[in-house]
Amino acid sequence: MPAVDRGSPPPPLPVPDPARRPLRDNPRLILVWIVLLVVGLVAIVRLADRSAEFAPDFLSEVVLYALTLADLTILVALGFVLARNIIKLVVERRRGLPFARFRSKLVAVLLGMTIIPALLVLFVGSELIRNSASRWFSAPIDEVLTSASAIASDYYQERQSAARRQARALAADLGGLDLGAAGVAAVRARILRVVNERQASLVEVYRLEPPGTTPRAVPVVDVAAPTLPRVGTRAVADRLAEQAAAGQPDVRQVEPLRDGGELVRVAEVVREGGGRATGVVVVSDYLAGALARNSRRVVDAYESYQQLRVLRRPLEGVYLSFFLMVTLLILVSATWMGLYLAKRIVRPIQALAAGAREIGAGHLDHRIEPETRDEFGGLVEAFNSMAAELAASQRRLERSRVDLERTNLEVETRRQYIETILERIATGVISIASDGRVSTVNGAAQRLLGLDDTASGRDVAEVLGRADLAPLAAVVDRGMRGAGAHAGGQEVALSLDGRDVHLAVATTPLPGGDGPAGSVVVLDDVTPLIRAQKVAAWRDVARRLAHEVKNPLTPIQLCAERLRSRFAQAPEPQRQLVQECADTIVQEVESLKLLVDEFSQFARMPAPRTAPSDLNALIADALALYRGLFARVRIEPRLAPALPPVRVDPEQFRRVVINLIDNAIEAFGEGPDGPQGGLVAVATEHDVANGVVRVTVSDDGPGLAEEDQARVFMPYYSTKKRGSGLGLAIVRRIVVEHGGSIEATGNLPRGTRMIIELPA
Amino acid sequence: MPETRRDRAIPRLMACLVGVVVAAGATVAAQTIRVTPMARDGQLFVSFSLADAFNEDIQSAIQSGLPTSFTYDVELRRSVPLWVDRLVNSAQVNATVRYDNLTRRYQVTVTQDGRVAETQVTDDETEVRKAVTEFQRLPLFTTRRLEANAEYYIRVRVRTRPRNTVIAVPWDGVLGSATFTFLPR
Repeated sequence: MPAVDRGSPPPPLPVPDPARRPLRDNPRLILVWIVLLVVGLVAIVRLADRSAEFAPDFLSEVVLYALTLADLTILVALGFVLARNIIKLVVERRRGLPFARFRSKLVAVLLGMTIIPALLVLFVGSELIRNSASRWFSAPIDEVLTSASAIASDYYQERQSAARRQARALAADLGGLDLGAAGVAAVRARILRVVNERQASLVEVYRLEPPGTTPRAVPVVDVAAPTLPRVGTRAVADRLAEQAAAGQPDVRQVEPLRDGGELVRVAEVVREGGGRATGVVVVSDYLAGALARNSRRVVDAYESYQQLRVLRRPLEGVYLSFFLMVTLLILVSATWMGLYLAKRIVRPIQALAAGAREIGAGHLDHRIEPETRDEFGGLVEAFNSMAAELAASQRRLERSRVDLERTNLEVETRRQYIETILERIATGVISIASDGRVSTVNGAAQRLLGLDDTASGRDVAEVLGRADLAPLAAVVDRGMRGAGAHAGGQEVALSLDGRDVHLAVATTPLPGGDGPAGSVVVLDDVTPLIRAQKVAAWRDVARRLAHEVKNPLTPIQLCAERLRSRFAQAPEPQRQLVQECADTIVQEVESLKLLVDEFSQFARMPAPRTAPSDLNALIADALALYRGLFARVRIEPRLAPALPPVRVDPEQFRRVVINLIDNAIEAFGEGPDGPQGGLVAVATEHDVANGVVRVTVSDDGPGLAEEDQARVFMPYYSTKKRGSGLGLAIVRRIVVEHGGSIEATGNLPRGTRMIIELPA
Repeated sequence: MPETRRDRAIPRLMACLVGVVVAAGATVAAQTIRVTPMARDGQLFVSFSLADAFNEDIQSAIQSGLPTSFTYDVELRRSVPLWVDRLVNSAQVNATVRYDNLTRRYQVTVTQDGRVAETQVTDDETEVRKAVTEFQRLPLFTTRRLEANAEYYIRVRVRTRPRNTVIAVPWDGVLGSATFTFLPR
């Protein structure tokens, strides 16, 4: 799991939240659409069922055209829906959007499950429709209908021919008669005979007035058979008479009657002997209702059959279009539903993936709104619960982390505090782990033992393996093993770089969970304490020595002088011997007195009475005492200007300077006529950084051995043949009582350098 | 490499497509319409005749008793370069024939722009053919709106009904045209 910076949660990622579309994601609206689709399909089926009732023009023009247009529209819509979604899927896949491949596969499967069966059904259904249409027609039915129609038509033709023959015969017969008012009786008699002989059902005679090119037909007489129902009208006969009078050939008509029968009417022009048209005769033959109806029914059946044959392809087109429309509607619906289902399936998964990314990015407050109450909704609820648990855990962890950070900060502060203390204190501290390796060495320990920074991590035996540290290593080893001194400490004397160092060593085991976790070695430098104890002891010795030695010196000196005065009169050899012995005794007693005085001074040195003083002036006063005393010794002041006043006892400080200069001059050695030549430099310096004033007295004499540089300040330690060995001890005591320090080092290129540091 | 069924199917499919296209072209090419315009006395007379119109489908339709119509859309147009030709005037002539199988007579009704121009009843099929396919000197347009010495053309498009196709397309029919230069007399 990658580390996440919990301290500063990143801003929320722009997650493509699957937005809800009110029109597409509304189940009620979808249900309404489905109902409308079903209603449309039912209406289409009903329309197809009643297609046989439609007029041919309406069927082949309106219905077929509308269906073709509807099919094309649905086909375009289907193509658009498919192309749009396929392009979207391709783009999503190329962009590498989440779940694009899964959605593509899902859509492909759904479309395949929809389109392939639909196309198969369409193909099979089309073949079934075509085969069914071909079975509408059969040769026997065709022959029967054609024959029946021919019989009916032939019968009508026969009746028309008969009526025509009768009309022509009557026209020829009436040509010699007067069609005017005078000849009506004769005309009636003629036609009555024809009607009575059942050669015609109705005969109507017209007279042309005036006779000429465009005459008007005027009814003259009509005779009807008694069997002819009175359901006809004269209008048809009048029109036929007009047409015949106008010269139209073959004027005839079949007039349907209200009783279901028909009149086969034929008009013929009546001409007189000269060929002039004088009238028109209309002969009608009555066809009874049943005969006419049956004949018409036969012909209608034949025509319907033939029309069905003619309209076969448009009808096939209508049925195919109906079927294609239903198939396309199902395809569109299935495609849309498939795409919709794919979205419905993928969208919660996408939301879950986006939510997981948000949670992974640290946005634990991210939640997904459940869109459904089904299993996906349950999955979303589980995700939200998981996110809530994670958020609560994260908050608990955050609180623990804050507490831990606070504790660590406190521990670190304490550690730094302790480390600072350890670094600043003069006590050396060495911590040793349980495996014997040095964990830490503070600065005081490094300075005391002369260790470098590489001591940490190394074995303690190796660190303390130097020969000069062997006594300390033995004590530490015993302490680590629990056999040595603990908190009480043990004093160890070491000789480091020629210096005698006294250390109080305490080894303390560190408590651990299951046994000691190591040890801590505490080193206290007790060298000054030892040195002070020695000085105190020497002072006590000096005081006792002065007290015990000084008292007998005076009687000894007096006795020696009495002996010398008593033997002043003695013979020369005795007198000279006594004189020499007495002089020697007196001289040595004087020396002893001087020595005792120095001892007395060392033992009874008064406490300094300090006052702010100008060190340069005090040094100049001291140097003035030497002016002109030594011809070969050059005393050179190197005083720093603007030296701050220092609290010293002027008398004691002058004595310090004089002692150091005397010491330096004596270091040059004694020549035959005084000290040998050399340079003594007295310098002052203000060390602002350390807050001290440094006084340096250096010479270019033979210098001190390195091991003597630390011992020269001990009482009764002297490198000279004569002297009490108390000069530098007194100097050191004065400096120490002024709160300062003194150190003897080598001078470059040769000689000795005494460095005094006094607090400024 | 042996020829696969797919290799054989593709040429067959291509041959079928070519056959369908050629057959459709032949059907269209079988019917032609000849147009003859003539301007005189302020009228533009248009004569047009449809050849080979009475094919088997039309004859079957007529004999079945269905009202069979020949609709002639006559348009007077003027060419416009680089644009759609301008429609100057238009007229519609419709000839409908209905056959009575009982009386074996044809009734032909000719209308011009919706008005009945002629009704004819006959039992002569030749007359019927002539009545529905040949129109002589129909005074369809006036010459008032014509520009002298300008070139026009008459385009006649004929559609027969009932339709005898599986699908309905709006662009069926036979086209004929004749160009003329209007010279006022």
